Amino acid sequence: MIMLSRVAERLYWMARYLERAEDTARLTQAYTHLIMDIPAGSEPGWDILVRILDGEPIFGDKAFNEQNVLNFLIADEENPGSIRHCIRAARENVRTTRDVLPEEVWEHVNELFLYSQARARKSVGRRNRHQFLEQVTTRCQMINGLLMSTLCRDHAYRFIKLGHLLERADMATRVIDVGAGALLGTERLNKAVDPLIWASLLQSLSAMGTYRRTVGPLVEANSVVEFVFRERTLPRSVRFCLDGIREELVPLKNNTDALKILERSRRSLSRFNPETAGREGLHRFIDRFQLELNTLGGTISSTWFMPPRP
Amino acid sequence: MNNSWKLYNTNKTGDFFDELITDAGRPRAAARHAVKMLQSLSSKEMAARRQAAELAIREMGISFTIYSEGKNIDRAWPFDIIPRIIPAREWEKVSRGLAQRSRALNRFIDDIYNKQKILADGLLPADIVLESGNYKPECANVSPRYGAWAHICGTDLVRDRDGRFYVLEDNLRVPSGVSYMLENREITKRVLPELFKNHSILPVDDYPSRLYSTLASLSPREQRRPCIVVLTPGIFNSAYFEHAYLAQGMGAELVEGSDLFVDEDDCLYMLTVDGPERVDVVYRRIDDDFLDPETFREDSTLGVPGIMRAWKQGNVAIANAPGSGVADDKVVYAFVPEMIRYYLGEEPSLASVKTYLCMNEPDRDYVLANLDKLVVKPANESGGYGLMVGPHASKEKRAEFAKLIEKNPRNYIAQPTLSLSTAPTYIDDTVEPRHLDLRPFILQGKETWVTPGGLTRVALVKGSLVVNSSQGGGSKDTWIVEGKRK
Repeated sequence: MIMLSRVAERLYWMARYLERAEDTARLTQAYTHLIMDIPAGSEPGWDILVRILDGEPIFGDKAFNEQNVLNFLIADEENPGSIRHCIRAARENVRTTRDVLPEEVWEHVNELFLYSQARARKSVGRRNRHQFLEQVTTRCQMINGLLMSTLCRDHAYRFIKLGHLLERADMATRVIDVGAGALLGTERLNKAVDPLIWASLLQSLSAMGTYRRTVGPLVEANSVVEFVFRERTLPRSVRFCLDGIREELVPLKNNTDALKILERSRRSLSRFNPETAGREGLHRFIDRFQLELNTLGGTISSTWFMPPRP
Repeated sequence: MNNSWKLYNTNKTGDFFDELITDAGRPRAAARHAVKMLQSLSSKEMAARRQAAELAIREMGISFTIYSEGKNIDRAWPFDIIPRIIPAREWEKVSRGLAQRSRALNRFIDDIYNKQKILADGLLPADIVLESGNYKPECANVSPRYGAWAHICGTDLVRDRDGRFYVLEDNLRVPSGVSYMLENREITKRVLPELFKNHSILPVDDYPSRLYSTLASLSPREQRRPCIVVLTPGIFNSAYFEHAYLAQGMGAELVEGSDLFVDEDDCLYMLTVDGPERVDVVYRRIDDDFLDPETFREDSTLGVPGIMRAWKQGNVAIANAPGSGVADDKVVYAFVPEMIRYYLGEEPSLASVKTYLCMNEPDRDYVLANLDKLVVKPANESGGYGLMVGPHASKEKRAEFAKLIEKNPRNYIAQPTLSLSTAPTYIDDTVEPRHLDLRPFILQGKETWVTPGGLTRVALVKGSLVVNSSQGGGSKDTWIVEGKRK
């Protein structure tokens, strides 16, 4: 099976953008619920959502109120991380790779695009927000399911999976970063609301049920970190994503560099100890880890998307 | 009968041939069932069907891009739900004529780039051919397989008031529109499924596999599955949708110039995740001028440096072959009937339109004296740009063209204004006659093959004769219908 480097690149980015749209929708959804659960006065601020996604430079000096932040995450076309922008970018990538994807993929991605164009702006307020975020999540999952159940297990599938998993691993670390609380600021730390925060984060990863069954009913910081980082059976755990990336890198040619970086990340993940790290340490680890994932993305790109010409 | 059809015959002003309705106001035999069914639909029902078609078009993402005010706009494909119906017996003759024409044109191109016998025999003046911008001296002495140069030809046909088909022009460079022909059938199946019960309609959807066989037959290497690519200028090209559609339909790679390179062995390769991969056949959808910056335009970033070298060495096939445009010059058009006699020893079975060559003095005098009756066309433009429809043009416009012709007579031809046939078209809430043409596609490789029907383009503006989608035209599904089925 032949796969053009350029096509591989576009499939990979399609997957990354779809995953980013879905994960941002999940995180926003969970966070909105969380804020409603916490008594007025002790609720964390909306700024966290912007910080967690490294969006401050684009967000600028606007006030971090609910309206501004949610508009930024959902509808702002200038923000490359906004749901609307991710969906548009995913569509552009599908538009130029339609020939290697099952036809329905284009139809569904295009419908999702038309939906977000029509609804994103109107869904910033609380009234319509829930429905919009749920639709985005559901539709992204439908497209994922379609890809998983129709794509041949060849290069197209491989690069799509790489894109999904790399993005998902990155987002999982960001979710944990919310809980790490370094961003919350000490004045906001409050033992009583802590379990609420961790539970809502698990919810954003669709992992609450599994957590209860495998770890137990009590939601507690260290075991959540442990679970989201290293539970090998959880499809949204960092470990699961890295294992999946490895699986797809192995059959590729010229994979030495990428595998080396991946193994390094896997090692640092397994060595990390949440018990001794403390919240500060956790946050610093996450920062470093995200850099490693970035390096891996860069290596994938220079190895397979921009191969040297003779 | 539904109200929206009531005025159809009163609206049929002027004497045009109508594709579906006779002058007596009755449906033509081949269209009887379809017209009856459509007339039985209430206005509400008709509107619902149109809406369903629009939805299908949006969802299938059928679009074309127009360049306007410095921006590319992706527009939904304008489609009329009432099909155009042609009886199979009539089509058979047209189809034979198209195949004959394509064979003669290919013989002509091959001759021009090799022995130039037709010029030596004085059938047409050498300077017309050799001084045309479409003649590419770089292609001389190349002999592509089967003598086939224009592997994919889109020939525009119109029906005059006498009901006969005439060839308006041949598009031998990078003709487009075939994907719309295929999608139009898909849409009709979705929105008017009942119609397919009472008709035996020749299917069109094997076009991609026919195209694949044609291209595969050109491969320089004997391989079970030669490596075929579709070369597109990219997403901003107006026909990008079609390039992707055809690549997918053939299981070929859709590539851009930057995906390809010519190595020191003069073979063409593409960049893949597994390393370079040899390419056998390029179905290119970019013009000659942009194909190879080493040979043609140096500033082209769309093409592939060295691809002409690879082609001339016989290491890669290019469809259509570079230089094929030499035969779709509108001046050369006037000589096609002669070519058919010369190369094939046959009488042309499809009529051409009387063509005045402004380069010949008597013709020019006639054209200048009759600008208000004629259509004047530049010899090498396509897409309906730069032409003047005399009867519809202002005085100023006619004066402007008179000047242009005098300045550069070689560059202009003129033809009588044909009264293009009409067909019932669903406009707002009524069914009205609108003018249309037809573009069938002819494939030429080891064998010759003609699409059953083609792309019908319709001028949606009342009275307009310009059917180009870039200028407000729409399209219709085109049916070739076999004899009655009970």
